[in-house]
Amino acid sequence: MDLSLSPDQELIKNTAREFVSQEFSKETILELDLTESGFNKDLWDSVCEIGWLGILVPEKYGGSENTLTDAAVLYEELGRGPVPGPFFSSGILSVNILLQTANEKQKAEILPKIASGEYIVTPAITEPSYGWDKKYINLSIENNSLTGTKLFVQDGLSATHILCAVRSEKNKDSISIVFIDANSEGISRKQLEGFLSASSEISFKSVKITDDMILGDINTDQWDNLYSGILNSLPILCSYQVGGSQAVFDLSVEYSRTRKQFGQSIGRFQRVQDHIIEIVNNLDAARWTTYEALWKLESNMDSNTSVHLASAVSSEAYLKACDGGHTVHAGIGSLREYGLTLHTQMSRTLYHFLGDPKFHKRKIAKSLNV
Amino acid sequence: MNFELQYTEEQEEFRKEVKTFLETAISKDLKHPVDPKDLTYDQYMIRRAVGKALGEKGWLWPMAPTEYGGGGLSIDHAIIIEEEVGKYGLPIPPYYDSGGRLGGPSILVWGTEEQKQEFLPPIFKGEVRTWQLLSEPSAGSDLAGVQTTAILDGDDYVINGQKIWVGSNHGAEQSWMICLTDPEGKRHENLSWFIVPMDLPGITIVPMDLLTTGGEGGAGTGEKNTIFFDNVRIPATNLIGGLNNGWKVATTHLELEHGGGGQIRKNDLVDRIINYCKTSESLGEPLIKNQDIQDNIVDIFIESEITRLFNLRNYWLAHANKQRTYEGPQSSFYRKTSALRIAEKILDILGPYAITNDEKWGLYDGAIELQHRGAIVGLHPGGTTDIQRVIMSRRIGIGREIKEQAGTLS
Repeated sequence: MDLSLSPDQELIKNTAREFVSQEFSKETILELDLTESGFNKDLWDSVCEIGWLGILVPEKYGGSENTLTDAAVLYEELGRGPVPGPFFSSGILSVNILLQTANEKQKAEILPKIASGEYIVTPAITEPSYGWDKKYINLSIENNSLTGTKLFVQDGLSATHILCAVRSEKNKDSISIVFIDANSEGISRKQLEGFLSASSEISFKSVKITDDMILGDINTDQWDNLYSGILNSLPILCSYQVGGSQAVFDLSVEYSRTRKQFGQSIGRFQRVQDHIIEIVNNLDAARWTTYEALWKLESNMDSNTSVHLASAVSSEAYLKACDGGHTVHAGIGSLREYGLTLHTQMSRTLYHFLGDPKFHKRKIAKSLNV
Repeated sequence: MNFELQYTEEQEEFRKEVKTFLETAISKDLKHPVDPKDLTYDQYMIRRAVGKALGEKGWLWPMAPTEYGGGGLSIDHAIIIEEEVGKYGLPIPPYYDSGGRLGGPSILVWGTEEQKQEFLPPIFKGEVRTWQLLSEPSAGSDLAGVQTTAILDGDDYVINGQKIWVGSNHGAEQSWMICLTDPEGKRHENLSWFIVPMDLPGITIVPMDLLTTGGEGGAGTGEKNTIFFDNVRIPATNLIGGLNNGWKVATTHLELEHGGGGQIRKNDLVDRIINYCKTSESLGEPLIKNQDIQDNIVDIFIESEITRLFNLRNYWLAHANKQRTYEGPQSSFYRKTSALRIAEKILDILGPYAITNDEKWGLYDGAIELQHRGAIVGLHPGGTTDIQRVIMSRRIGIGREIKEQAGTLS
């Protein structure tokens, strides 16, 4: 038993922390939050240079082929920001989905470009009838073209390419994944306004689909493979949420020391202490369920229960950590420039992304054979 | 990272040795009452015999130093012994020995060489059982406010007062207790620890009538007692860790009691509930088909998993000698509060079946009913949930700079 990070992972952590504090200051993230897509090409390029987009891409496709835990360590640091941008969507989720669904030729063509940052890829799975099971996918290839809507697509605006989950032409029980240029004729994209980050609507109007755009074997139902890609990515999303929760915890502890009321630090009041203790209990529950899920995935053990456990716990943890943060901070917490709301908004956005806690709990019931 | 204990060939060889030894060391008559309170004297003596047999080989306290009667073994061996003894449904030590579990390490850290030679071998060899005596009627959470006095008189200390929530069934040979040694002294500078033989004149043991036995750590604790001290004389050499230095000594003791040592045991409650809901029907349908019941079971599973992981993390932190701060009290707080939430979810799932131990209708011979009572009583031993949060706050440094670290374990 050894629950410590390896020396390599410590190095990734320190490098990432330094980079994030230099390149993604609170002020930078606040500015990005005001732009339409939340995306900045210069910042993207600087991250690509380090090679972080290829962290999970196999070496033969131009990546560094690191372990899932290596990637998790990196994303925990990004979550502290919270660093916005299509890093997870492209560098983790799309890579894992492609590894599970694409044929050799497609992998060799697409993965190196994701690793270098030339392609920014995001999966488009959910639709107006929102949900993360196969049954919620209606968009269907008809006469070699797509017409319909994908909704709540993360990073839809900044993407250069889309991995679109659709019903296949020949067999409506079967799911195909189509790799589409995001600037194809017939595609329009819109950022969704409100209390969410980088979430978009993508409309398809007679978008032409050719067989070579369909990943893997055209006649194979790709749902299970798509889902394997999601399962491999979930713990890394959890790590991002752990990082976010950690940042909220740090902010709250600091504020409990510096904010004075009634002649003393507010953290001397036990009610304030209780809020912070709830934050750290949620944070640690998320951290350790996530680490265990990563370890099981890497050890090729039966990991479904652990992955869904980590996802349910981490999504709730980040949400509750932010709630606790606002309770501790009161007024100043809702001031945009203070920075707490960046996390609050991200915690709400990620709460449903790739399945909400209720969804993951039902999956746990299934894998426990309940 | 690796969450699993890895076994080398050498360990597997050792496991064979331990297995063979236990086959003869553990009586075939060993039985486990559902409620530890019902442990008979004969069953208690079977457990003491196991303790002595293990102690002779140095396997009762495998990691304690050999010069004081321990096994001097590595964690790798200790784990094998714990696992194999665990297969008989027994912890190590195989009986309630809170004073040994908490006092032993404290003496190791704070005792003089003579005291270590005198007091540790009997504990580590299983020749004595030791109870811990801390709480009093007017000193629970405020442990520093204990009133039981130990006053020097010639070569003896004379003890007077009352301790509560003590021990288990069938007595103990000695106690590990904290007393007020300077009634005029400053708070936190007026306490000392003692080893007290329990057969001395002036000691009276009266069982307490409680909702259930409760208790932290390992073996079911059995019946709790009030203990009265009326001019009990003990040699001054039984004072451990220095006169009026007791609050410092207490940090070692309390760190262990607050969950700082961690554990690797797994709880089978979730499996039991799932199994029951699969095999029992209501209106012709297995209970497990009910969506509300499924949701409740998953919530119970999640809380059990978080408890397990906090314990596992603490086990690793303690055994790998990593720096710890708030993790011990966090684990204690979470385990206690989640046990109560779990009990209430089970009440939702099972209805009144959850709280009957009727021999016809009670589940798992009353184990589920006992869990419910245990979750309520279990909120306080080893420090209330509120005290755990107070300690966490200090160690996190909420509202002030960090002033307190975790207690010393070695």
